[in-house]
Amino acid sequence: MKGAGWMLSLFALTARAESRFPQPQFDSGHVVPQAFHPPVMAIVSEWMDVALLLFALGVATWLVHRVRSRRWILAFSILCLAWFGFIRQGCFCPIGTIQNVAVAAWQGGGLAWGIAAFFALPLLFAILFGRIFCAAVCPLGALQDLFIIRPQRIPRAWNAVLRLAPLIVLLFGLVYTLNGAGYLICRMDPFVGLFRRSAPLPLLLAGMAVLLLGMVVARPYCRYFCPYSVLLEGCSRLAWKPVHITTETCINCRLCVGVCPVDAVEIPREAPTGATRVVLFRRFVKLMVIAPLLVVGFSTAGWMKVGPLLAAAHPVVKTREAMQVSTPATEALYPAIEAAKKQGQTRENLEAQAEKIIEKFRTGSAVAGGLFGLIIALRMLGISQLRRRVEHEADRYNCIACGRCYPVCPKNIENA
Amino acid sequence: MAGNERQTTRRNLLSWLFRAGTGSVIATLVYRASGVIRGGRQVWQLDPRKCIQCGKCETECVLQPSAVKCTHGYVMCGYCKLCFGYFKPDASRLDEAAENQICPTGAINRKFIETPYFEYTINEPLCTGCGLCVKSCANFGNGSLYLQVRQDRCKNCNTCRIAEACPAQAFVRVSEHSPYLLKEKL
Repeated sequence: MKGAGWMLSLFALTARAESRFPQPQFDSGHVVPQAFHPPVMAIVSEWMDVALLLFALGVATWLVHRVRSRRWILAFSILCLAWFGFIRQGCFCPIGTIQNVAVAAWQGGGLAWGIAAFFALPLLFAILFGRIFCAAVCPLGALQDLFIIRPQRIPRAWNAVLRLAPLIVLLFGLVYTLNGAGYLICRMDPFVGLFRRSAPLPLLLAGMAVLLLGMVVARPYCRYFCPYSVLLEGCSRLAWKPVHITTETCINCRLCVGVCPVDAVEIPREAPTGATRVVLFRRFVKLMVIAPLLVVGFSTAGWMKVGPLLAAAHPVVKTREAMQVSTPATEALYPAIEAAKKQGQTRENLEAQAEKIIEKFRTGSAVAGGLFGLIIALRMLGISQLRRRVEHEADRYNCIACGRCYPVCPKNIENA
Repeated sequence: MAGNERQTTRRNLLSWLFRAGTGSVIATLVYRASGVIRGGRQVWQLDPRKCIQCGKCETECVLQPSAVKCTHGYVMCGYCKLCFGYFKPDASRLDEAAENQICPTGAINRKFIETPYFEYTINEPLCTGCGLCVKSCANFGNGSLYLQVRQDRCKNCNTCRIAEACPAQAFVRVSEHSPYLLKEKL
């Protein structure tokens, strides 16, 4: 009787599963085992995770602004590389949390508070103290920093063009993510494979290629790819206590210019006068005319080209694509079709959904393109600055607070 | 000199306004995002009801071998002598010889219990998560073999590479406190 009851409960358990063969009744009294499912192996709790980030940002701020020692910044960055990179293994990181925050803000559904803190803390520190996070806390930055061997100066024009890349990654990455095609920004992290010491080969090779490039172009991912750097630069521009090359009066010896790996030292200049002012004013007027053209141009390009291109990565669009190219004979080669059939999707339904999704991608890309054009225009306006500068100063946008200029400055040596 | 100082103060005030503005933008964004603040982490899991055993779990994971492995819902198993998850369709004999097994790594152990029943257990360290046994068991047997993300291995990437490649979109985020979607309990 006991056995029958057991069988009944068993039947209830498996009622919804395919049961082609009945479950056996063992005469030998064999007990059906339970498979073991290991629990989540998190190294630290969510609280601890955020507390450690806060602590790391605090220490890095102290090292950059008070201790002002390149050696200590380097040592601490290696510590952070070990913890945030190789032990904690990358995810989640502030760069990727842009997407989590954007998705949650756009579509609702909530956000783990730890992720929210990882997104906001480095930005808040940047508003107050500059790009502290880049200096020593970010494992991606710390890893690349170790590979800076012979950094070359990037010509200004090249730099200006290359610096548009993070903007593109940020804007169009968000269009991609918000429309449900996946977390593109995370997918383009080249180092996660190195941190985990296990990855598909292309990912590992990409990581190594970026590091090799980093020997001559200092911190290539940070400067010409990282979408979070766009936000950090914006916040760092407003920094309450930005990085100062020296706390004394600069003697304009230019030694700091030579050691800065990211070309972030601004040299003194006179405020434009007379004729130059007129030239600059003309340029300003020209830019005002070009600006709307840029906005409209990039917006149209987003609508026409980029939207459909990004939409192709959406699972529904991919399934439709598979249906269009496959014949009944080759259908088995496309698992997406099998999955759609299993879920009872009809072809017409799928077509309609795909069209809607492409439309959404077009709209999103048009908005992103418009913003892109606007920011280019604003950056070009920023070139014609009129204020006089008498000292060598760290550029608030590009300075990653690595501290290489501290030990070479004669004024700092004097005081040491 | 006095005028100069006043100008500096005005600039200071403006910068503080800008700072406060940006700070509140970040705060608003985070606040709006976390309309429903969740406690605890979310982890990835594979919904076996949606899975079509395409084989991408084995190849797409950032880990090699993958964090996805086969698991066995014993209460669903028929303990068949001819297990469709264990033997190749063209197996010449029903014995444990490697050429008769579906599993490319020999990760399924077959143990005689009593006539005519055999018990099948997964040797997890050998399993690569290819899903060949799962597919065959689902197509011809009881479907008691199924794939699950092993939470001791999964690195819980912010975006799961398998999830993005999965044609059936079978990957979902679940709470870290009940991190498995066990087929026998769904």
